[in-house]
Amino acid sequence: MDQHTKFEKPRGVSAISIRHGYAQAHLSGWGKDRAAKRLETVRAITDAKISVDFVKLTPSGMSFLVPDAQSEALQGVLDRLGDHFSIRRPCSMVIAHAVNIRDEEGLVARIMKAAIDGGFLVQHISDMHDRALLVVDTAEAEQLAAHIEAELREATHES
Amino acid sequence: MKVKVMKFGGTSVASSEARAECGKRVISAKEQGYRPVAVVSAIGRKGAPYATDSLIKLLTDIDATVDPDARELDLMIACGEILSASIFAHTLKTMGHSSMSFRGGQAGIRTDGVYGNARIKDIDPRAVLKALNANCIPVICGFQGTYQTPDKLPGAELTTLGRGGSDTTAAAIGAALKPYADEVIVEIFTDVDGVKTADPDCVKNAPTLRKVTYDEVAEIAHLGAKVVHPRAAEIAMQFDIPLWVKNTFSDDVGTEIVPVERFPGRRVTGVTHTGKLVYLQFDLTSAPEADRAFLESTLFGLMAQNSLNLYMLILSPSGTGFAVPRAQFPIVMGILNGLVIPTGSGTLYLLQVGNEASREVETQAALMRPLGMTRRITAELTEGCSMVSLVGHEYMQQPGVYLDVLEALYKAQIPVLQTCDSEYSLSCLVPESEANRAVRELHDRFDLAKTV
Repeated sequence: MDQHTKFEKPRGVSAISIRHGYAQAHLSGWGKDRAAKRLETVRAITDAKISVDFVKLTPSGMSFLVPDAQSEALQGVLDRLGDHFSIRRPCSMVIAHAVNIRDEEGLVARIMKAAIDGGFLVQHISDMHDRALLVVDTAEAEQLAAHIEAELREATHES
Repeated sequence: MKVKVMKFGGTSVASSEARAECGKRVISAKEQGYRPVAVVSAIGRKGAPYATDSLIKLLTDIDATVDPDARELDLMIACGEILSASIFAHTLKTMGHSSMSFRGGQAGIRTDGVYGNARIKDIDPRAVLKALNANCIPVICGFQGTYQTPDKLPGAELTTLGRGGSDTTAAAIGAALKPYADEVIVEIFTDVDGVKTADPDCVKNAPTLRKVTYDEVAEIAHLGAKVVHPRAAEIAMQFDIPLWVKNTFSDDVGTEIVPVERFPGRRVTGVTHTGKLVYLQFDLTSAPEADRAFLESTLFGLMAQNSLNLYMLILSPSGTGFAVPRAQFPIVMGILNGLVIPTGSGTLYLLQVGNEASREVETQAALMRPLGMTRRITAELTEGCSMVSLVGHEYMQQPGVYLDVLEALYKAQIPVLQTCDSEYSLSCLVPESEANRAVRELHDRFDLAKTV
């Protein structure tokens, strides 16, 4: 019997996946009471039964993703609120999966640099303990995924 | 053969009385028909004479201005587990049971060559099996293994597994013994009754969860729950090994960690908090569109080049931002504050961290003035932040969860600096001074005191 067993997942990016079908909203121009404005906005979106994902707070507003199918409904809500906003669609999410990505020194930054240096217009980014997410126009998603994979594979070979 | 791997943490082996308690649990498992295997951490917690930090101090006390090499640190801190294993094996002998201690390498644990944060590559369990077959209780040093260098020098290099290493050792030893056993159970003994809905230091009435899925426990562990390390949960999940978290000092049944097929998970599992972080937001509005990508690439490139860990990223039309561990902040400050970035457009950018320019930044600005075409980029700095996370099971995708979290924190007047979310969790960056209160507010808001 083989007495050796493979254990932990290897370091670095283990897989890259793509999720399509998003719209990215960016709201700006909020004044001083941003926390109250944020709450009012999120409440209005929730009341419209729109699911927001990957919410990011900016110094003058917020950015988030919604399912593309709900982008029109979102536009209606934001029109009613009278905020300054833009909605970009269709967007896709390119996800770099890596176990303990936040503990892998410099890995998240390497992924971001690779994407920006590749000339991709990254609309939105996020991170969790096992992945980094980059949102781009759907037309660029496949290329971005291939680019990150190639860049990080090279970096791994170099190290 | 039925095997029970029992891991005892630092507090569980901190005194002779505590070790006797652990010994009774090991002997009880043996009397129930299991072949027990003990895995031990270093004795005591921070400040105790043989705890990891005390051993590191032996090196840093030589000259605080010279950082010890990672290799020397590994060799030094591994002594904590070696002492602990030898003492515990002898404790078992005094209780009438044959026992043998094993260093990680002697137990067959082979790792990659990353000192201080090694990952287990494989385990050759022959020595442990030999002890078990001789009716001897193996006591294995947690947190360590050995790395065989490519030139195959004798003895191999000692490596440590990083945070949560002893939990990882226990789960991996369980997995390695599984092909030779009819049944393998891994039990993690600690000083709380099991996996709780929140840190009991923070929420006194936080209930113990009787059953959680591997995914749930991995998520809450990644996001700050200290009760079991996510690497251990991931190994147990991969090898389908029953995993329990129990209290060494109580008879509570503890928490059973099971596959999702055996338990559907719950709407909200718990609230965690983690990290001493520093948050930086770079205002790039002064840069024309043509320079933006170059500036962003330079910032991320410098962070990558200096192996810095980034959290809570944001990229927006007004700029970019991220949090870094407080321990790494002096490096970030040293790199970025006063940094001059020349761009292809001919503009020179001077980076200032914080709203007040330091002497270095003012000196740079004065030197650059005659050159013209200079612009200043300010990074808004928020020191002392923590990440508070609500962990659930796909419920996080439901409309309204984000609103509930924001509303609860807004009503409690707790500022939310940034957020990030996944299928299983929603994290908020809040001031560290408010982290415990944020945990309590969310625990109440989602009615977690009633969780079972």
